[in-house]
Amino acid sequence: MVDALVNWLFAAPAIPNDVGGKYVAGAYIVFVVLLLIYVAIMGMKLARIERGLRDVAEIAEARKDGADAGETEPAEVKS
Amino acid sequence: MGAPPSMYGKGLRPLSIATPVAFAITLALVFFYAPIEADQGFLQKIFYLHVPLAIVALCGFIVGGIFAILHLRRDDARYDAYSYVAIHISVIFACGALITGSIWAKGSWGHWWVWNEPTLVSFLIVFLLYATYYPFRYAIEDRQRQARYASVFAITAGAFVPLNFMAVRLSASLVHPRVFATAEGGLPGSMMLTFLCSIASMALLWTTLVKFELSAKSAQGQLKRLRRALDAPTGPPTSRIAPEVH
Repeated sequence: MVDALVNWLFAAPAIPNDVGGKYVAGAYIVFVVLLLIYVAIMGMKLARIERGLRDVAEIAEARKDGADAGETEPAEVKS
Repeated sequence: MGAPPSMYGKGLRPLSIATPVAFAITLALVFFYAPIEADQGFLQKIFYLHVPLAIVALCGFIVGGIFAILHLRRDDARYDAYSYVAIHISVIFACGALITGSIWAKGSWGHWWVWNEPTLVSFLIVFLLYATYYPFRYAIEDRQRQARYASVFAITAGAFVPLNFMAVRLSASLVHPRVFATAEGGLPGSMMLTFLCSIASMALLWTTLVKFELSAKSAQGQLKRLRRALDAPTGPPTSRIAPEVH
């Protein structure tokens, strides 16, 4: 599977078919992979922040609803 | 008391646009404009990736040291965060420089690593030195002390970087290629232009990632503050190593 992938990659017409070609491709692929790993980690971090924000928003909304209900209840008792 | 939250994300949008544009131009120059080098052939194209990665990583370590000086002088936690993030991103770049350098060495010299080559070994020493930054920070519980000690580390290690660079330049090894200021005249114009574009792209990428990381840390800090203000559970514990940014 890996061999097939490597063979397919090195058979790409854009890469010169000499010894250097595969090393150049390898180096640039390593760079892109490193970037992708970083982006993936940052994506996970941002997802966690988003989850936290949603929780906080729910808490704030629940408190606001609770406070609104507390304000209307005495008025109902009075009438 | 900290910086307004918008400060960290300021300029991130133009940087996020400029970085891929700069990389597209650089890659076009590398593969369609810069000539094939006579000695190494197509393999020399790694130079436009490996060397900028190494240079930007080393400069990033120095920048981390400068922020650490500012942190100690002004006692402002923001500079500790800048220093931490600068070192963090530079370690990733250094890791990339080591791997691409190793691939270049294999293609050029037939070995993944050459232990008697001072440039390689000294860069590895710098990388390993900064790799100890994380456990060093992690070992200290108190955040104030952690920030102070980490700053001292960043300054000492940051001062070591140019000394190390000079020592390597002064060494007499003929194995590692010397392309600047050589008796033969260094790089030809087209290669130099491509190389300078590579450096600029890499520096842009470094700056973008630093700002991106700082923005994420700031958002995390703001969320924590919000939770505290609402007396809500503080949620899953965040990293003890990373400084809190507000």
